[in-house]
Amino acid sequence: MSTLCFISENMERVLYLTWEHIWIVGSSLVIAMIIGIPLGVLITRHKNLAQRVLNTANVLMTIPSIALFGIMLPILAVMGFGLGKLPAVIALVLYSQLPIIRNTYTAILNVPPAVTDAGRGMGMNRWRLLREVEIPLAVPVILAGLRTAAVMNIGIAAIAAYIGAGGLGVLISQGISRTYEEMIIAGAVLVSLLAIIVDGAMALLERWVTPRGLQVQRRQNG
Amino acid sequence: MIRYESVTKVYGNGKDAVTALDNVSLEIQAGEVVILLGPSGCGKTTTLRLTNRLETLTRGTITINGQDIMQVDAVKLRQKIGYVIQEIGLFPNKTIAENVAVVPKLLGWSEERIRERVDELLWMTNLDPRTYRDRYPAELSGGQQQRVGVARGLAADPNILLMDEPFGAIDPINREQIQDEFLRLQAKLKKTVVFVSHDIHEAIKMGDRIALFDKGRLIQYDTPEAILTQPKNKFVADFVGADRALKVLGLIRTGDIMNRSPKNLLRMTDQAQDVLKFMDSKKFHYGIVLNGGKPMGYVTNRTLKYEQGPIRDLVETYPCLVEEKRNLRDVLSMMLMYNLMTLCVVDDNGDFIGTVSYNDIQKAIKESYTDEAERNGEGE
Ligand SMILES: Nc1ncnc2c1ncn2[C@@H]1O[C@H](COP(=O)(O)OP(=O)(O)OP(=O)(O)O)[C@@H](O)[C@H]1O
Ligand SMILES: [Mg+2]
Repeated sequence: MSTLCFISENMERVLYLTWEHIWIVGSSLVIAMIIGIPLGVLITRHKNLAQRVLNTANVLMTIPSIALFGIMLPILAVMGFGLGKLPAVIALVLYSQLPIIRNTYTAILNVPPAVTDAGRGMGMNRWRLLREVEIPLAVPVILAGLRTAAVMNIGIAAIAAYIGAGGLGVLISQGISRTYEEMIIAGAVLVSLLAIIVDGAMALLERWVTPRGLQVQRRQNG
Repeated sequence: MIRYESVTKVYGNGKDAVTALDNVSLEIQAGEVVILLGPSGCGKTTTLRLTNRLETLTRGTITINGQDIMQVDAVKLRQKIGYVIQEIGLFPNKTIAENVAVVPKLLGWSEERIRERVDELLWMTNLDPRTYRDRYPAELSGGQQQRVGVARGLAADPNILLMDEPFGAIDPINREQIQDEFLRLQAKLKKTVVFVSHDIHEAIKMGDRIALFDKGRLIQYDTPEAILTQPKNKFVADFVGADRALKVLGLIRTGDIMNRSPKNLLRMTDQAQDVLKFMDSKKFHYGIVLNGGKPMGYVTNRTLKYEQGPIRDLVETYPCLVEEKRNLRDVLSMMLMYNLMTLCVVDDNGDFIGTVSYNDIQKAIKESYTDEAERNGEGE
C-alpha cells in the first residue's frame, strides 16, 4: 500500500524515470538491431566468420553487467564519457548482440534450401532473394531475438543507474542508500512491470509481422 | 538447341574430389523432351545445374543456340531458362500468383501483363485462378503445388525448361495425371525440355529421347524404342529391365497395329445356322456381332452348333473395349485379365472400327526387334 502511496506522491518523477528507462533500452535496441541483423545475415554467407562472431557475442554476454560498466569506465573516461547514458547504451548494445545475431543467423539458415535454390535457379540475385524471401521468412525468429534482448536489457538498465544513466534503477539505488523501503519496492515493481508489458507487446508484434503464408503453414502443421 | 561438349564436373579438390560428370557430350534438339536417366549419383542433377550455371563447369563447354553459356551473365541466363525441382521450392510467404510472377517481375513486366499471364498459366496447369490465385502454398496439396511449380517455370515463356525429378514426390495416381497434363501442354508449347528422372517408366512415357548415365558417363543416348529394343550393353539392358518387351508395348498404340477390316462381322438378326455355315467355310472360330455400328459381343461356333433363330440371344458381351490410342501394354493386360485373344477397337463415339488380337501384338513386338536387328546389320 505504502508503495502505491510513494508512487502516487512522486508521480511526476516516476513517470520521468520510466520514460528515461524506456529511452535507454529503446535506443540501445535500435542501435543493436542496426548492427546485429546485418551481421547475422553476413555470417550466413561466410561460414568461417560465423563461429568467431557468435563466440565473441557469447563471451560478451557472460561478462557481469557491473564488471562491464567497470571496464568501460576508464576507457570512456578518457573521452569524458565515463558516466551517464552513453556507457549504459553501449553496454546494452553489446549484450543484445548475441540474441539478435544468433537468431538472425539461424533463421536465415533455416530457410529451406529448396526455396533458395529455386529462387537462384530462376535468376534472383542474392540481394533480391534476401529481401523478398529469406528476410520475410526469418522475421518472426529475428523478432523473437529482439524480444529476448529487450526484456534482458530492461533488467540490466536498472543496474546502469549506478553509473548515472538514470531510469527506474535510480529508485532502487537511492532507496538502498537511504534505506527507504517503499522507494526500493516501487523501483523493483516498476522495472518488472515494464519488462512484462514489453514482453507481451513484442509477442503481439511477432505475430503481427509473421507473413500470412507462414501463419497458414503453422496452423496446418498443428 | 543445347550442346554439351566434353563436359566434366569435379566437386571439391585434392583427395576429396568427386568426378560427378566425366567427359559427357550430347546434343539436345529444340522442341524435344530429353530425359536424363540413371541410378542415384550418376550425375543427372549435376548436368541440369551446369546448364543454368547453378554449378560451374570444370572442363568442356555448354552452348545454347550456339552461344557459350559462360559468355552470358548467370542471372540473365537463368531468367531465360525455366527451372522446376522435385522439392518444388515455392516461396511460402508469397501467394500463388506472386510465386508464378517471380520471373516476369524480375524482367520488369507491367502489372497488367503479369496479372494476365499468371491467370493464363494457372488455367493452363489446371488450377482455377479464381480459387487459387490468392492462396498460399501451404493451402495446396503436393500435386497442386507442383502444378504451380511448373507454371512458375513457364512464366516468362522460356524456350528451355529444366526439370529435376519434377513429379518424383507426387503419389503414383496423381503423378500419372500430372505427367499426362504436362505431355498435353508440351505438345502445344514445344519447349526444349531437359527432364531428370530415375524412373524408366517415366522416361519412356515422357521422353522423345533418353540419355542414360552411369557413374558420370553417358552410356546411351537414343529414342525410348531404341533403348528398349537395342540396349548398348549389359548395364542398359539391366537398367531397362527384363520386362523390356512389355515396355516396348507401352510405346505402341493400338491404332498402329489394329486390323481395320476384319471379315468375321455379324449382325444381331443373322440366323444361327447361316452364321455357322459361313464361319465354317471361312475357318473362323468366332464372329463379332455388331448392332448399329456398335460392337455388341461375340459368338463362337460351339455356342451356335445346336441353335436355331437369330443369334441375338447367344451373344457374349465384351467385358471391355479398346480405344485407338490405348497402348498395347494395357491391351495385353486386358486380354490376360479377361482371357480373350481378340478385343474390339472403338472410336470416341463407341463405334466399332476394328479389332486387335494377341497375334497382332506378338507380331508388333517381333517387328520392332527385327527392325533394330536389321538396322544393326546395316551399320556394321
Ligand atoms: N555439391 C556437391 N558437392 C560434392 N559432391 C557432390 C555435390 N553435388 C553432387 N555431388 C556428387 O556428385 C555425384 C553426382 O551427383 P548428382 O546430384 O548429379 O546425382 P544424381 O544423378 O542427380 O543423383 P540422384 O538420382 O540421387 O539425384 C554424386 O556422387 C554426388 O555425391
Ligand atoms: Mg538428382
